[in-house]
Amino acid sequence: MEIALGAVRDETRQHDEEAALTALVSEYASTLYRVAYSVLRNTSDAEDAVQEAFVRVLRHRDTLGEVRDHRVWLIRIVWNIVLDRKRRAKTRPETDDIAELARVLPANGLSAEQRASAAQHHAHVLACVEQLPAKEREVLVLSAFEELTSVEIAEVLSITESSVRSRLFRARNLMAELLHHTRSHS
Amino acid sequence: MKSPTYDNFDSLPGEAEETLRLIANLPAPEGLEDRIKSVVHTSPRTAKVLTWPTGLEQRQGWMQSTLARGAAAAAIVMIVAGGGWSVYSRVQPAPQPKVIAMPRITAPGGFQSAGTMRVPQTLNRPVLAHPRSVAPTAKKPQSQSGKKAKPAAKDAGAAK
Repeated sequence: MEIALGAVRDETRQHDEEAALTALVSEYASTLYRVAYSVLRNTSDAEDAVQEAFVRVLRHRDTLGEVRDHRVWLIRIVWNIVLDRKRRAKTRPETDDIAELARVLPANGLSAEQRASAAQHHAHVLACVEQLPAKEREVLVLSAFEELTSVEIAEVLSITESSVRSRLFRARNLMAELLHHTRSHS
Repeated sequence: MKSPTYDNFDSLPGEAEETLRLIANLPAPEGLEDRIKSVVHTSPRTAKVLTWPTGLEQRQGWMQSTLARGAAAAAIVMIVAGGGWSVYSRVQPAPQPKVIAMPRITAPGGFQSAGTMRVPQTLNRPVLAHPRSVAPTAKKPQSQSGKKAKPAAKDAGAAK
């Protein structure tokens, strides 16, 4: 009787965990995908990273109840995954970004020529972002997500909020210099 | 969303942030959640430890005996040592030739010696800067039989 009761409890617990995980996927898969895409800039790579993040969550599902903020926790997991993948991957040429951006950017009533021009411009800006130091670049990329406050960015990067602010300030100045420099040379 | 002005770079940092914001707000592909859910449901829950099949597990009970393990180890040692000895005993060392036979080069069309003899190069003997003066050797005592006649002949010639 005790064995049967334990089995029922295990089954119930497993069912609850699966339901919780499914709810997490429904709620945060899109956010995690966008975070992954902003770093990897490749749809299939970003999707793979999100899948890997949820598989990691599944393996550590016992600690799911201890997590205070699931959103920040999941973003941190996927952030570490994409940084690791990017470190291992080769540097992407700017032409890859142009082609990818031309494919994924919303049309917004633009003609094909305007769209190609927009893709080229965005790719050029992203190439400048890639030239930033890693610390500044990470803060700048995460600050583009409206749903993340500076406190949450600090939590994702395991730094203080004041560090986030100072890095963001430096990143903006460096970006201005880089874009001005490239503009004067072009 | 404000569309960027691609010809004007005056608001550079703002424009850069706009690009990043555009990237950050790109919609997720269709069916992403379903794909992830299917992956999550099919992936293994926990790490599995590889184990022996049940049949092998039951049969490996004989290995628990110390005597059997010792016998197996001794058998392995005997096989290895016997194999080594059989190889060693069959292999004979190659006999060393006493005379080294040089190959005779008689290649057709090659250069020939045309009967010349090789003269080994020798060193010149040392030459003394100040040669030693040779002292005159003393006259040996002459014998009385044949040698006495010569001065007599000279005397006879002189008399003529």
